[in-house]
Amino acid sequence: MRGLEALVVALCLLAGAAAADERATLTVVTWGGAYEAAQRAAIFAPFEAKTGVELEIVRWDGGVAPLRAHLAAEDPPRWDVVDMLRSDARAACREGLLAPFDAAILAPAPDGTPARDDFHDGAIADCFVSQLVFATVIAYDDRAFPGDKPQTVADFFDLERFPGKRALREAPVGLFDWALRAYGVPRSQIYELLSTERGFRLAFRRLDQIRDDLVWWRDGATPARLLAEGRVAMASGYNGRFFHARIARGAPISVIWDSALLAENVWAMPAGVEDRDLAERFIRFATAAEQLGAVANRISYGPTRASAMRRVGLHVEAGIPMRPHLPTAPRHLERALRKDYGWYAATEDLRRRRFEAWRSNGVAGR
Amino acid sequence: MLDRASAYRIGLVSVVGLGVGGVAALAAIAFVDAVLWLNEALLVSAYARAQYDAHPRLLNAATVLVPALGGLVVGLIVRRWVRERRGLGPPDAILIAQTRQPPPTLKSGLASTTAALVSLGTGSSVGQYGPLVYLGTIIGAAVGPLERHVADLRAIAVACGVASAIATAFNAPIAGLVFAHEVILRHYSLRAFAPVAVAAATGHVVANVVFERPALFRVAFEGVRFGHEFLLFALLGVLCAGLAAGFMALILLAGRAAPRTRVPPWLRPAAAGLVLGLVALELPEVLGIGKETLRFATIEGAFTMPELAVLVTAKLTLTALCVGFGFVGGVFSPALLIGILFGALFGMGVAEALPAAQSGVVPYAICGMMAVTSPVIGAPLTTILIVFELTRNYDLTIAAMVAVVFSNLVAYRLFGRSLFDVQLRGRSFDLSLGRDKAILGLRRVSDFRSGDFIALGADERVETLVRRLKTSGRAEALVTDRDGRYRGLVRLQDVLDEPGTTRLADLARADGVTFDERTTLWEAMTQLRDFIGEAAPLIGSDGRLLGVVPEGAVIGGYMEAVHDLRREENAGA
Repeated sequence: MRGLEALVVALCLLAGAAAADERATLTVVTWGGAYEAAQRAAIFAPFEAKTGVELEIVRWDGGVAPLRAHLAAEDPPRWDVVDMLRSDARAACREGLLAPFDAAILAPAPDGTPARDDFHDGAIADCFVSQLVFATVIAYDDRAFPGDKPQTVADFFDLERFPGKRALREAPVGLFDWALRAYGVPRSQIYELLSTERGFRLAFRRLDQIRDDLVWWRDGATPARLLAEGRVAMASGYNGRFFHARIARGAPISVIWDSALLAENVWAMPAGVEDRDLAERFIRFATAAEQLGAVANRISYGPTRASAMRRVGLHVEAGIPMRPHLPTAPRHLERALRKDYGWYAATEDLRRRRFEAWRSNGVAGR
Repeated sequence: MLDRASAYRIGLVSVVGLGVGGVAALAAIAFVDAVLWLNEALLVSAYARAQYDAHPRLLNAATVLVPALGGLVVGLIVRRWVRERRGLGPPDAILIAQTRQPPPTLKSGLASTTAALVSLGTGSSVGQYGPLVYLGTIIGAAVGPLERHVADLRAIAVACGVASAIATAFNAPIAGLVFAHEVILRHYSLRAFAPVAVAAATGHVVANVVFERPALFRVAFEGVRFGHEFLLFALLGVLCAGLAAGFMALILLAGRAAPRTRVPPWLRPAAAGLVLGLVALELPEVLGIGKETLRFATIEGAFTMPELAVLVTAKLTLTALCVGFGFVGGVFSPALLIGILFGALFGMGVAEALPAAQSGVVPYAICGMMAVTSPVIGAPLTTILIVFELTRNYDLTIAAMVAVVFSNLVAYRLFGRSLFDVQLRGRSFDLSLGRDKAILGLRRVSDFRSGDFIALGADERVETLVRRLKTSGRAEALVTDRDGRYRGLVRLQDVLDEPGTTRLADLARADGVTFDERTTLWEAMTQLRDFIGEAAPLIGSDGRLLGVVPEGAVIGGYMEAVHDLRREENAGA
């Protein structure tokens, strides 16, 4: 506990110092919706209370291009800390869009275990630290299928057995992977096959089957809403959002864990960040065991450090156990599809080009 | 009761199985990973190529130059360090296990393995299991000198190395065990079986427990739905036999054609690599082992029928070119690829003919894959087990069994038992009538030469002959001319009615059985059928008489060789 006490004392001192001059501010870029709400309760509010720093929250939908545009703008609004997808962060890091990350700023576990041993293998990288594991899953409106329920990713593409609209994210992410899985391609070979012309062609052929019933979404909060309002029968989306819709709003949404795409969210700082010290202080706070555990007790995303995982218990409002709903639950991991970050980062252009060609002319395109 | 000698022997062979198995497994994993790494780094694999999609010029340059330069490196390595001037592979492993001939040197072996690594790493159209078999052989042969403690240990140790390498690389321990017996040892004695099983299990432990390798080629398949499909599998087997025989004949043809191209041997792989690279600009599937293509072939609709036909032809021709022109590598992986594509083609044809009465493309693809491969390596049992262990699917194994058996039967008639056996026959080690003939075919009767005979000049008279025979108590003498050239043989009964002054030249008969320096024990045994007399003359290539080979010595040598084989085949623990 000594580490935590020291942290609190340090933060109090800092708060005092900050309060002395004019109130410092920090801009945090994140995703909105139930996720942001959980972050606000578990991280932002406690941080403001302890440091007196005023947090300004900017909402975005991720990606590398917005970050690139932001940095290239003449007089950009301030961005200090960014919550982004690991695959995007990796590509952004390669492009030099992110500030280098110093692992020494991370807080040790409450029992004194150094951060490096406490975080998952590979969670700490050159430009970022990974904070949670989330899954992009397929969920369905239970009312749409009163008889047989869809079970596998192949059912998502099967309009005969499971008719109804489908919602997918309007981005070249995840949909090819699922389309190939629907052919029975083993998890371990998805990205090898997607690296070929033929693999893409097959994926688009499967997507063509549901083309006329597709609804596109951009904002992570949309798919749960579309399902709850009965406007689509199945939708892809983030597991935490679906969980929240069911727990908090009682929406009749069920998740298909087959081929759940595991990915991670990271904290990073844009290159040339204005107040680096303050940004690092925020990241240290946000990735401490207490905060990560508190996020996971509000929304079903798995923390990336062991000490935080030990703090996962019941949902703060609904009182149900959170562990079985995390993407990192063993029975979900068995069926999950591990996203290949390296491949994703290196094929951004390729995926986008093919995706747009398919959307505009219905060809697999080059 | 277990006496001390048996306990020592059992202990020693078990340790050999464990040690050779462990080292071979690690070596196999290192080899396979090194190939994968090179494929990524050199933009051979589709996975790496997709990541450079934005640089088409770089990709095209790599496609053409990597195999060509790889070929150049291979050619130079083979010329500089491999004494045999060719890649070493399963035929050499068989020879080391079957005979007491000295194996190729360690330097040759390592250089050949390096050349194979470069061949596979730079995407040439050859297989990786041939080099892996030889890698296992090197490790097994290294403990060969322990043979003075346990009979036949060298063969057993080589089989252990091969079994472990195959068990690890395929993640198929049973297939590794059976392959070592079916292809390398050619017998199933308990003394060999036990350590080879230990080695295969060690490979399995290393692959699964230590490195957690997944099954290589899982295929989801729910079973053959129609009984008549088994007839189609058999028919597919027969067609695949033709394809396999054509494939093997083309490989041998390319090997014979290569010297006629006037390209110096060290430059030939580079030439083949250049051709391969140019074809790959249009058909990237021909590069390397083709893991992605194997998978696509099991997916309904991934290929059109013309695409499949083109790919089968291209892969077949280019593999023959690469192997024939000196790239170092095996034929197993290309055979798998050619077979699965052909099987898929057959399956699509069936689907058109009988749209409602077939179980999809998968069983045909898998049957084709194994039915082409099996006659090439001459190991039907191994192939059936490989299907089982690779796909872990029982229904597919049964289907493949039918195709494999028919394919082997027909291909045996068309070509021979396997590419390896036919290559060995070219090196005068003929296994087609079993190990007896092959081993007897290696031993020369000149080893049994005896100087204990009576030789007389052609000008000498019958009276001299009779006197000499009388004093020595013999019944025949050999006649030579002034230069020592053999003129014939004179028996006592031939001269009974002759006057004592008749010249021996007029009586000598040269129509009897004679041996020369190259006569093998096997040939001698077949000629002895017509033999009457004491000993057969041994005649040099210049026609001079070198000595005689007594009938008893030939029979003794034969008995000894056969006895050795039977003892090896029936050795207990």
